[in-house]
Amino acid sequence: MTDAPAIEITRLVKKFGDTFALDGIELAVPHGSVFGFLGPNGAGKTTALRILTGLARPTAGVARILGADVSTAGNVVRSQIGYLPDVPGFYPWMTALELVEYAGRLFGIRPTILRERAGSLLEMAGLSAVRSKVGGFSRGMKQRLGIAQALINAPSVLLLDEPTSALDPIGRREVLEMIASLRGRTTVFFSTHILADVERVCDTVAILDRGKVVANAPIAELKRRAAVDRLVIEVDGNPATLISEIEKRPWVRVVERSGEQITLGVTDLQSAQRELPVAIGAAGLGLKRFEGAEKSLEDMFVELVRNAEPPSRRVAEPPR
Amino acid sequence: MSGFSTFLAKEFTEIRKTWRIWVIPGMLLFFAITSPIIADLTPAIMASVSKGQPGVVVTMPPPTWRDSYAQFLKSLSQMVLIAVVITGAGAVSGERSSGTAVLTLTKPVSRASFVLAKIVSQAGLLVAATVLSTAVCLVLTMSIFGAAPLGPLVASVSIWTIDALLMIVVMTLFSAGFAARGASAGAGLGFFFLTLLISIWPPATRYSFVGLTSVSGRALMQQPMGAFWPVATALVAGVLCAWGAVRVFERQEI
Repeated sequence: MTDAPAIEITRLVKKFGDTFALDGIELAVPHGSVFGFLGPNGAGKTTALRILTGLARPTAGVARILGADVSTAGNVVRSQIGYLPDVPGFYPWMTALELVEYAGRLFGIRPTILRERAGSLLEMAGLSAVRSKVGGFSRGMKQRLGIAQALINAPSVLLLDEPTSALDPIGRREVLEMIASLRGRTTVFFSTHILADVERVCDTVAILDRGKVVANAPIAELKRRAAVDRLVIEVDGNPATLISEIEKRPWVRVVERSGEQITLGVTDLQSAQRELPVAIGAAGLGLKRFEGAEKSLEDMFVELVRNAEPPSRRVAEPPR
Repeated sequence: MSGFSTFLAKEFTEIRKTWRIWVIPGMLLFFAITSPIIADLTPAIMASVSKGQPGVVVTMPPPTWRDSYAQFLKSLSQMVLIAVVITGAGAVSGERSSGTAVLTLTKPVSRASFVLAKIVSQAGLLVAATVLSTAVCLVLTMSIFGAAPLGPLVASVSIWTIDALLMIVVMTLFSAGFAARGASAGAGLGFFFLTLLISIWPPATRYSFVGLTSVSGRALMQQPMGAFWPVATALVAGVLCAWGAVRVFERQEI
């Protein structure tokens, strides 16, 4: 093993005609980490994973796994990765055991080891008692089978494309626990648009939007950054006048109202802390609460993705 | 080569466990059984047809083992070759569209191994089914006509097999090149009918693989075959198409 990151992506570009699916993305995924690759549908996550697995070629830039360029390394890289596509395709005439053993034989795993490993992986996937053909499996069963086959070679790097998207809550929790249990032994790189999954198991997250990485940091760091520009205030009256007043301030990005509580996204915290109490007083309202709020990853995600669009102010009111 | 051998083993298992075991072998066996019977009944059928039309007299010589073999070869050269085109159309494109190519190609299996295993498995199925059906045709011909020389049948069917193997490789090339099964089937049928059309031109028949059908017919009639150029060009075309299929598939994004 080298000192290089387990996955290293440098100025990676992928164009389809005139459209940039990936626009110069840069990433470094440390060994043994659980890395969340987050983005809305169409952001370019699957394209990046297809390049990492060698199924597609980059237009420019380099993607390396364990120090080897995936465009040229071929079997050297593929023998060390496990991959679950977003919509796994299996031979419908095989049983789950046959499929996992087939995957293992492609890696040249010895029959005795393969039989034992296939059994324990199917047990983990909750499919050990299923004898029917894969063609009759539900999407969730296929997803769990996909994870089992992706782990058959005890991969150094596990690439998962939306691994929990088709699972019920119990299956989802089991898969996330399994991913978390690999921390330190296997580098897990998983793409998803489910923010709660990322918050639950990832060490680091990169947020991809329209082919660009708009954030890349440890989860805790992202949340810490997010917390300082968000304020919650509560007043003892109707805040409608106050809202129309503070909306005019240049440091206000987002205003959300819930009864007497107002949540503000601000770009200049000091100005907000100085001017808000004055504005509340001028509106004839009493101040009941004034505090910084921890932003969820979802808030962060939405804000980052919206930031790529021309700035606009929004007032969101819950339905009454 | 573990990737190649494992994928090839998967292909043979898939043939055994799915509809693929029935199509080409089923057709070959069907024609092996019906050809001697049709050859035997043809004079009676023609006589019954002419009976209903006053003034028309159809006189046919008594059928022989050669009529049985000719009927079998005619079916192979038309129906079975078209079946090879249709079934071969999805060899690579079917795996791509169903997502199973991703399952295999993200493991240590090269694209060349993938394509070559497809060719070898289809060729293996065709050769095994051809040997079996030829034996069936031989036995039935013997039992109906009292004579069934081995040499002409083996020679003519062997030449046809080279033609069919070439078609398998051509279809693998089309299947690797076209994303849709229908497109590769269309290209394959176009190739099939184009070769039929070109075979009208005598020099093409003499010096290229389009003459394989004629060579097969001459083998059956126990005439000098002139097989060298058709067989040699078929082998060269087969190797080039296999190489092309590998190159095309290697350049594709999945």
